[in-house]
Amino acid sequence: MLREKIEKYLLDVQKPSRYIGGEMGSIIKNPDETDVSFAFCFPDTYDIGMSHLGMKILYSLTNSRENYRCERVFAPSEDFEKIMRENDIPLYSLENLQPVREFDFIGFTMQYELSYTNVLNMLDLAGVPVWQKERSENLSPIVVAGGPCVCNAEPLADFFDIMILGEGEEVNLELMDLYYKHKQKGSSRTEFLRDAVNIQGVYVPSFYNVEYNIDGTVRSITSDEGVPAVIHKRIISDFDKVYYPDNFVVPFTEIVHDRASVEVLRGCIRGCRFCQAGFLYRPFREKSGESIYSQAKALCENTGYDELSLASLSTSDHSDISDMLSNLIDYTEKNKINLSLPSLRIDNFSEELLEKVKKVRKSGLTFAPEAGTQRLRDVINKNVTEDEIMNTCRIAFEGGYSSVKLYFMMGLPTETDEDIVGIAELAQRIVDLFYSIPERPKGRGVQVSISTATFVPKPFTPFEFEPQDTREMIERKQKLLIDSVKTKKIKVSWHNSDVSLLEAVLARGDRRLSKVIYTAWKNGCKFDSWGEHFKFDVWMNAFKECGLEPEFYACRKREYNEIMPWEHLDYYVSKDFFIRENMKAREFKTTPNCREKCSGCGVTAMTRRACFD
Amino acid sequence: MIKVRTVFEKKGRAKYISHLDLNRFIMRVFKRSGLPIWYTEGFNPHPYIVFAMALSLGFESDCEIMDFNLTEGVSFGKIKKILNDILPEGLKILYVTTPEHKIKDIGKAEYSVECITENPEENEIFLTELQKFLELPEINVEKKTKKGIKLVDIKPLTELTNIINKSDNIVLNMRLPAGTQNNFNPMLFIDAFSAVSSVRFETGKISRTGILCADGEVFK
Ligand code: SF4
Repeated sequence: MLREKIEKYLLDVQKPSRYIGGEMGSIIKNPDETDVSFAFCFPDTYDIGMSHLGMKILYSLTNSRENYRCERVFAPSEDFEKIMRENDIPLYSLENLQPVREFDFIGFTMQYELSYTNVLNMLDLAGVPVWQKERSENLSPIVVAGGPCVCNAEPLADFFDIMILGEGEEVNLELMDLYYKHKQKGSSRTEFLRDAVNIQGVYVPSFYNVEYNIDGTVRSITSDEGVPAVIHKRIISDFDKVYYPDNFVVPFTEIVHDRASVEVLRGCIRGCRFCQAGFLYRPFREKSGESIYSQAKALCENTGYDELSLASLSTSDHSDISDMLSNLIDYTEKNKINLSLPSLRIDNFSEELLEKVKKVRKSGLTFAPEAGTQRLRDVINKNVTEDEIMNTCRIAFEGGYSSVKLYFMMGLPTETDEDIVGIAELAQRIVDLFYSIPERPKGRGVQVSISTATFVPKPFTPFEFEPQDTREMIERKQKLLIDSVKTKKIKVSWHNSDVSLLEAVLARGDRRLSKVIYTAWKNGCKFDSWGEHFKFDVWMNAFKECGLEPEFYACRKREYNEIMPWEHLDYYVSKDFFIRENMKAREFKTTPNCREKCSGCGVTAMTRRACFD
Repeated sequence: MIKVRTVFEKKGRAKYISHLDLNRFIMRVFKRSGLPIWYTEGFNPHPYIVFAMALSLGFESDCEIMDFNLTEGVSFGKIKKILNDILPEGLKILYVTTPEHKIKDIGKAEYSVECITENPEENEIFLTELQKFLELPEINVEKKTKKGIKLVDIKPLTELTNIINKSDNIVLNMRLPAGTQNNFNPMLFIDAFSAVSSVRFETGKISRTGILCADGEVFK
């Protein structure tokens, strides 16, 4: 039996409780009593995957259907993977400890580009052919992908049977319903896939043919007969009423985010031009204060967590933020629960609420100005002014804070040396502000940390046309920043720019990259997002072996009329809008947020109603 | 304030929960239970929950002790039901009682270790060698203590209470010093024997089967 085999080795690995399931809140159904099974795979380790909210939602939702079964699967750490391979332990699910290859669906959630090799590794551990075309005509297992990376899933196109665009709450069940019909009929894989394309949001990459120009750009993307030419994403229209779990699986071992979490809103009104999430999840929708309160209460009661967080892109933009927060703070205080709040825009809070918020805010003070000068912040449409930063810092310093963390990006479109020096100058003004305040915390110096990331242009943003800075350009700017910092009270750190290059390639890549990903994985790449595992050389060799250049994808300026590899995928926001926004960025012009004024991004053509009443 | 002692089992999947994780996890169980648990006073109040002894990762047990205080009375039967309705597979409250002994009264613990020989025909040799091993004047092993590794003679400390030869395995039952100061893991003895034995064997199920006071009375 698989269980005995697993248990035989569990005490030889780190944190074994990650591999045996049985946590409080896990749902274990009898395989013989369910009709369709779904192995929900997170392409990273348990500690990371278990923190992911989307997985919790879809896990509970699928299991809420009596005859459907959803089980969790994570990537094993290196020590356990070695044991699994040596002892023929296939990748298995945590609920029934059942081999993943026996499931009807094997679904991956694609949250970041650097997890692509983990998908191949997990399929391989499961004993499932990694290439879609090498899978048999048997109906199962159907290998599916969802999550934000699917918006340009082309580099993964050759590995998946199906990709699901947009929000999964409805479409996942529709797909399972359809599958169940075909299972009863005894259909083949192709028969099922042919039928599945009729569900909105379902993309079957193998039914599309991509041709290229001599210069390497895409010439055309054509669909097979009877298959839609364009795939539209799915959204939940009544977000307040959408299913939300009243219980989570509570892990034994510590994970990254070990707490109850309520999603308060989806989408974002802001339209920061670098931010993919801000466009992918449009339109903005929110839950009512009552729903948030009752969902939070149910979750805390059922999980026993003593920490609660609010999930969203920008909680401050909730229209009922004051009452919503006030009620939650009352509840959590009374029940000895820590409410962890994100950085909030506090301009329109009442005195009373501010006092309440101050009491629960324990986390450090963080800002993401993203750019060092107002000019560049206008280019990226990041609506944070220096006055706001200074005001909030002043209040915080007076309240006893003495450290601030600032996040910036480097390599933004139109960026000049002035913008880089501006980062250091902004930090310096915060240092000066600290020493100008008589009520500042005594006996402690101020600490300003600057964290910079290399800008990665993403599809479905106004910057999808932009080249990424080369490594040399970034290194020069990093040095310039270091040289501009004049005090030890300011600390500078940055992310590895090689990682950002790979991220940029995969984010805007085309189908030919499947070969590169495969080659990199074959040569030992996995867990690329973990610094200690990242093998840049192996990746570069893989590009060479496949005759492709990373710079072509990352560092090339794309014309407005270039056919993008994701041209056939529709996330409701129109390409015209992105072009308009790109042009405005070049003129340093900002765009108002959606609540102030609609900018006609194209969303309403699909939703057929105004985003705000 | 009402003092409560529970005896619980840790088996199956639950045996892979480390002691540290169990400590954190049990807070959530109590939070969820709604029981009127007593919080410590002071700067950082937290529910007062104490495990009498840590159990090594991978060991099973049906005699684990967990103490806590309630601010108001709840019947023992109800406490047991409430907790068992929440606890996951492998963790189960066996009974709830009022503490009779103090945790510092613990002096010994009993274990049962299953030894599986690679070749069952060698069981007899295993037993003969074990007898010989027990007749040695001293059995010195390295033991990790707070002050570093030190050499300890476990011969006078290890009581082998009974040995059962069940053809496909041999079960050793033993009694060892235990308590807040001095704890001995049965694997010290097993590893020492394994190092000199000519028979190759693996350990199977290892359980703690009893917690006793220094005078040998069952800890209650
Ligand atoms: S249609 Fe208007 S309001 Fe709606 S998301 Fe687009 S820009 Fe914002």
